[in-house]
Amino acid sequence: MAAWAIIQPKFLLAQTKVVSGQVSDDMGEPIPGVTVLVKNTATGVVSDINGKYSISIPDAFNILRFSYVGYLSIEETVGSRSQIDIQLFPDVTDLESVVVTALGVEKNVKSLGYAVQKVDGEKFTKAREPNLINSLTGQIAGLQVNNTTALFQDPVIRLRGAVPLIVIDGIPSTENDFWKINADDVESINVLKGATASALYGAIGRNGALMITTKRGDKGTKVEVNSSTMFQPSYLVIPEVQTAYGNGDNGQYAYIDGSGRGTEGFGWIWGPRLDVADPNTASGYVERPQYNSPIDPATGQRIPIPFISRGGNNIRNFFQRGMISSNNVNVTSGNDQGNFRISASHIYQKGLVPNTDLNNTSFSVAGGYKLSEKLNIDASLNYNRQYTDNFPETPYGPENYLYNLVLWTGPDVDVRDLRDYWVRGQEGFQQKHFNNSYYNNPYFQAYEYQRGYYKDNTFGQVKLDYKVSDDLMVTIRSGMNLYALDRTDKEPKSYVKYGRVSRGNFYIYNSAQINMNTDLIINYKKQISPNFAINANAGGSSRFIRFRSESLNTDGLAIPNFYNVANSEQPLSGTNRLTREQIQSVFGTVDFEFFNSVFLTASGRNDWVSTLPVNNNSFFYPSLTLAGILSDMISMPKPIDFVKVRAGWSRVSDGRISSNPYSHIQAYSPGVNWGGSPSLVFPAALINPDIKPETSDSYEIGLDTRFFGGKLGLDLTYFQIKDFNNLISVPVSQASGFTSRLENGAEFTRKGWELMLNTKPVSRKDFSWNIGLNLSTYKRILTESFDGSDRFGNIQVGERTDQLFSNSQYQRNSEGRLIIGQNGFPIRDPYQRSMGFQNPDYIFGIQNTFNHKQFQLGFSFDGRIGGTIYSQTHEKMWWGGTHPGTVNQFRDDANNGLRTYVADGVVVTGGSVNYDDFGNISEDTRTFAENETAVNYIAWNKTTLNAEYTHYFDASFIKLREISLTYQLPNKFLNKISVDAASVSLVGRNLMLWSNVENIDPDSGVDNLQAPSVRNIGFNINVTF
Amino acid sequence: MKLNNIIPILLTGFFLVSCQSFEDLQLDPNRPVQAEPSLILTAVEANAFSTVNAGAALASRQLIYTNSATDNQYYGWQRSGFGDYDQLRQILKLKDEADRTENNSYRALALFFQSYYIIKLTNTFGDIPFSTAVKGIEGDFSPIYDTQESIFVRVLQDLREANTLIGPDSGEILGDIIFNGDQDKWKRLINSFTLRVLMSLSIKENDTNLNIKSKFGEILNNPSIYPIMRNNADNGALRFLDLEGNRYPFFNSNELRTAYYMEMSFVDRLKQNRDPRLFIYADKTSNGRALADNNFDAYLGLGGAEPLADNTNQILLGNGSPIDSRYHSDPENQPSLLMGYSELAFTIAEAAARGWVNVDPEVYYKEGIRASMLFNELTDSDVDNYLNRESVQLQAGNAMRQILEEKHTSFFMNTGWEAFYNQRRTGIPAFSLSNQIINPEGIPKRWMYPQNEIQLNLKNMNEALQRQFGGEDDVNAVMWLLKP
Repeated sequence: MAAWAIIQPKFLLAQTKVVSGQVSDDMGEPIPGVTVLVKNTATGVVSDINGKYSISIPDAFNILRFSYVGYLSIEETVGSRSQIDIQLFPDVTDLESVVVTALGVEKNVKSLGYAVQKVDGEKFTKAREPNLINSLTGQIAGLQVNNTTALFQDPVIRLRGAVPLIVIDGIPSTENDFWKINADDVESINVLKGATASALYGAIGRNGALMITTKRGDKGTKVEVNSSTMFQPSYLVIPEVQTAYGNGDNGQYAYIDGSGRGTEGFGWIWGPRLDVADPNTASGYVERPQYNSPIDPATGQRIPIPFISRGGNNIRNFFQRGMISSNNVNVTSGNDQGNFRISASHIYQKGLVPNTDLNNTSFSVAGGYKLSEKLNIDASLNYNRQYTDNFPETPYGPENYLYNLVLWTGPDVDVRDLRDYWVRGQEGFQQKHFNNSYYNNPYFQAYEYQRGYYKDNTFGQVKLDYKVSDDLMVTIRSGMNLYALDRTDKEPKSYVKYGRVSRGNFYIYNSAQINMNTDLIINYKKQISPNFAINANAGGSSRFIRFRSESLNTDGLAIPNFYNVANSEQPLSGTNRLTREQIQSVFGTVDFEFFNSVFLTASGRNDWVSTLPVNNNSFFYPSLTLAGILSDMISMPKPIDFVKVRAGWSRVSDGRISSNPYSHIQAYSPGVNWGGSPSLVFPAALINPDIKPETSDSYEIGLDTRFFGGKLGLDLTYFQIKDFNNLISVPVSQASGFTSRLENGAEFTRKGWELMLNTKPVSRKDFSWNIGLNLSTYKRILTESFDGSDRFGNIQVGERTDQLFSNSQYQRNSEGRLIIGQNGFPIRDPYQRSMGFQNPDYIFGIQNTFNHKQFQLGFSFDGRIGGTIYSQTHEKMWWGGTHPGTVNQFRDDANNGLRTYVADGVVVTGGSVNYDDFGNISEDTRTFAENETAVNYIAWNKTTLNAEYTHYFDASFIKLREISLTYQLPNKFLNKISVDAASVSLVGRNLMLWSNVENIDPDSGVDNLQAPSVRNIGFNINVTF
Repeated sequence: MKLNNIIPILLTGFFLVSCQSFEDLQLDPNRPVQAEPSLILTAVEANAFSTVNAGAALASRQLIYTNSATDNQYYGWQRSGFGDYDQLRQILKLKDEADRTENNSYRALALFFQSYYIIKLTNTFGDIPFSTAVKGIEGDFSPIYDTQESIFVRVLQDLREANTLIGPDSGEILGDIIFNGDQDKWKRLINSFTLRVLMSLSIKENDTNLNIKSKFGEILNNPSIYPIMRNNADNGALRFLDLEGNRYPFFNSNELRTAYYMEMSFVDRLKQNRDPRLFIYADKTSNGRALADNNFDAYLGLGGAEPLADNTNQILLGNGSPIDSRYHSDPENQPSLLMGYSELAFTIAEAAARGWVNVDPEVYYKEGIRASMLFNELTDSDVDNYLNRESVQLQAGNAMRQILEEKHTSFFMNTGWEAFYNQRRTGIPAFSLSNQIINPEGIPKRWMYPQNEIQLNLKNMNEALQRQFGGEDDVNAVMWLLKP
């Protein structure tokens, strides 16, 4: 407790002594510019070009502090020495670095009482992902990113189980567009992990924040070119289907007219065996009439052709190789007065599906200027356009490519035969396909069904800092996020949608949003005594969002392929919408710093929102954090360099009920319009007129440590968030006339651990190895229900809320075996059953970096352990007859009309079973015998979707996420061609997968017949002039 | 200009803060908070009169389904839902708005629609919440279940009151997509529907409390007080239009086109009677494609209780008649009936055959057939030919069977679950069973209460189960209505 106990004497300059020495880094190279400070005084010097220093120390003082950005600070007791040589170790976790915290306030990491994690922008630009958020996968403890496999689909992100706020240069960007931020323009991303860190943002900061800082210019002028090309040469996961049986049902198939009726087998893939020899035909194979059979001119009938396996390679034959190409040029310049940066980028992504792509163009200018000694201005403006004439649909259904390509197309069809996709003579009216009722020709879909997307984003900010005095600063910042989105869907005639065939349609959807944000902050900063400093902020904030949208669609097209609303056969339909919302706030925060080692921060904010009734629309939220650097207070044993403990608490409320800001108003919704008579319906959700905002109390404690001269850093956090007064939709008995009522109630507890470990096992002059590891857990539990009930919906108090419930399971006995009925089929379970937890138990990521001379090699793994995924792909493959597991004797028997499949299960021979109200067995006197009733194997699968499987799987996986090898061209060579720096990288992403579920990539978190998961391999070139 | 002078200008410039009053932002520009009764009525009507239900046709042995062994066809159903209470909420709003505008016509319609849905619900489950139901607005979220008997008693009173309320001077009806505001036609539908409700209680015909026989006679014998439907022009019918959202519900349906085929016992009966409605209801088999449309040999049904694989095999072999193509390719097809004149005529014929009323059953039986055939766009001469057939004449001792079989035929793809409920009440016509049936006890008598009630209204539901079925929620339990 040395520093605490000593009562500091007044400055006595009478006696001093001189200490000198050299500061070097961990490899022995001298470090210039190191600050050498006599602790607890203002006396300090800076090391020279050779790392040398010399300082006079007043007698009463005995400790020297050596600090340098990027290195761990060291305090050294002088004693009687006059020569002190010091080695500084790089701080692998940027302990001394400055991070941007809520409202753009920059703080030293060391002083923070909550968990933050920073990722440098350069991590995103070498191995390109389609958007920035994908690149964060596995990098941040506590951040889960579910990577979707399809083109232009948003990844799903969860920070401590909830969607975090995105803030760009201090301006919240609540529309969550992950595609508008160009990775080349990102300086860094600071992740504020919890509400305690982001409480100053008020309601929108309730779930933590991703603080994105964009790049600015440095001194001097530089031109940088960065170019990446990623190819998708092979599949990581692709559904594998059987190739032994063709289209049809019960082993029968004969094409008639494509309606699916009668001998066409309704669209099932339960048809006859393929490649069966028949000596009586010309081809030597069994022959059947098929969609591509020639027509006998004499009879008008289709001539049978061999029924053989042609389509085994349909996926590979249809899909093309995708790629992502990113190019950026930027110019930066700066001097003592100011700087600017201009950047232009284009990303082109080619989809797997032919005729699909995505373009993403960005242009940005940013800069700052010192207008006077007191006034500083900083501004940025970004324009981004995302555009494509066609990108694919993804969910299960006839709009999904795999649905048409493999799931519901027998291997008797070769997709290449469908390339010419119109029926001759009916161009524009009828697509050519083997089944026109249920499925789309994939080529027809790719080239005629066009989903266009054109979005213009403009966002930016202006910030003025006015230094009133040395202690007082006024900051004003105004920013906006603006977008205009145009979408068009062109649906050709004969296009198959679920349950119906289109008469041709054109859909238009336009929307636009403006989001304005202004903050005024007054900052007062004062070092009151050497051991006590204060830093206070007070301010106000205003936020306004206006959104409008219009949609319009035809009802049938008069002229095919003419996509204009004027071409509608029947009257047009349309809707429109306008919403406005506003939040006004005042806030204040104060940091106290004691002895440069104890940091106390308190903050408060009050919001007034428009999204709640006026009498309940004002609410206050406080936060309090404390950080103490134990290693400065107590002397630690040798291997321990640094120990910090931190604790924080915050209370944050949210007054937004849903994305509709008018959700608190009970009103009618439009109902059916019958022949020109409009109607209104009263909605099923009853709204309590006295609803209040919902609130989260977050607690967080953490430990931040460094060992072995900075070679090992370990950061551990435990958090617990109590969500209470939630704005919940309480389900009610439908007999009350409503299905739910909106109330305040229920309490959920979110909790978990986050561990970050950074280590440098080898750090020699010409070789170093860095490892970064993160691991986190997260659970959400119902801790209190509503109205004293012990359950909320299906969930009982004390249980996890992420259970996946299924109401289409079959009854099982205590051993888990299926209970089979008299007809040989399993008996349905009338109760909903929990099939497992959706969330993983652990999320982890490991990053390795090796440096050797001009080479840098990096590879990273990440994954999730635990959790459950429901696989629609698996279920539908069993149902439709395409699963490889259906190739067996039972299927052949069924094709021959035989019932031979005896399901593995039991039949009830006597006794009875009683259930409690929730379907738990309360009494069971049943006796069982083995099931012996044989059923038709095809009927079994069609009726039960193969009840032997629940189609719920363990979602655990590990991925080799990235490998990158970079070669930094030698300076000697570059200088000759007047290039400052240049590097070439060979990169790969999404390279290998280990998981327990077949046919799908569990990384996406859900499976609605997901697109194939692909490997990305390519290169990056970066040149700076 | 000195920099310090422009600072205030800059500061005001940046404070381009849109400062709206919070009160202004509390008005939703997208939704109204008050509605005219006519606007509510349109939506209520569109829902109540949409009765086309292929599932009911499977359970009533009129159609079979080939894509899987369905619960409706193989009698494997378990729970049903309380979705109709959603409509009762709209009806409550209709009543509120009727009271606000003091319009007796809307009041009468609100009572009628309320009765219609309550009967629908009680037919499905047995006891259901009624007297304290749909009171969520008043804060009652746990309605008690009323006994089926008390429900019927009150519905009969309500329908009587509705008849009294509505008349030429009871107030204008706007937004009426069924009768275009014709109070007289509404009055006739209300009374005809009352006769359906009374007939649905036929097992209770000797219950002196209910007195259904005399109530039936009171309506039939007093047409000036209780007018009833006179012909198909009075049908309670929703006409479909070739407009988005207004089309026949199975228009363009791939499932109906490829997976619904005619049921064997139904086709056989039509063939036996040489009933030309077969040509309207069904398409020819693949094998019979070459035969004339009106050749009975071109049509074949498949057994509703036969194994799925056997049925699909028959179809793959070219046997089996699909449902007629107009049901999936005509956007208007035929109107959907809440209740048609033919049903009324058969109901009166049955009442006469039971001796409830003193009219000739054969007259009403033939009226019913004629109305059904004309509704299906057959010509008068088709009808006359059919009615002159020997086998169609009402035979003593067989009258009930003949009346109810013809009623069953008339319900094809119409009038919701009435074909099933009439069979449940009378056993006519017999529905085929086999070891393929999922429910070991054959045709279920009811549906289990919804899963949500277990979670949200357990005490009241358990009370109702206790008092009706000794606590068991069982599809085979016999509700009050079906107990002699």
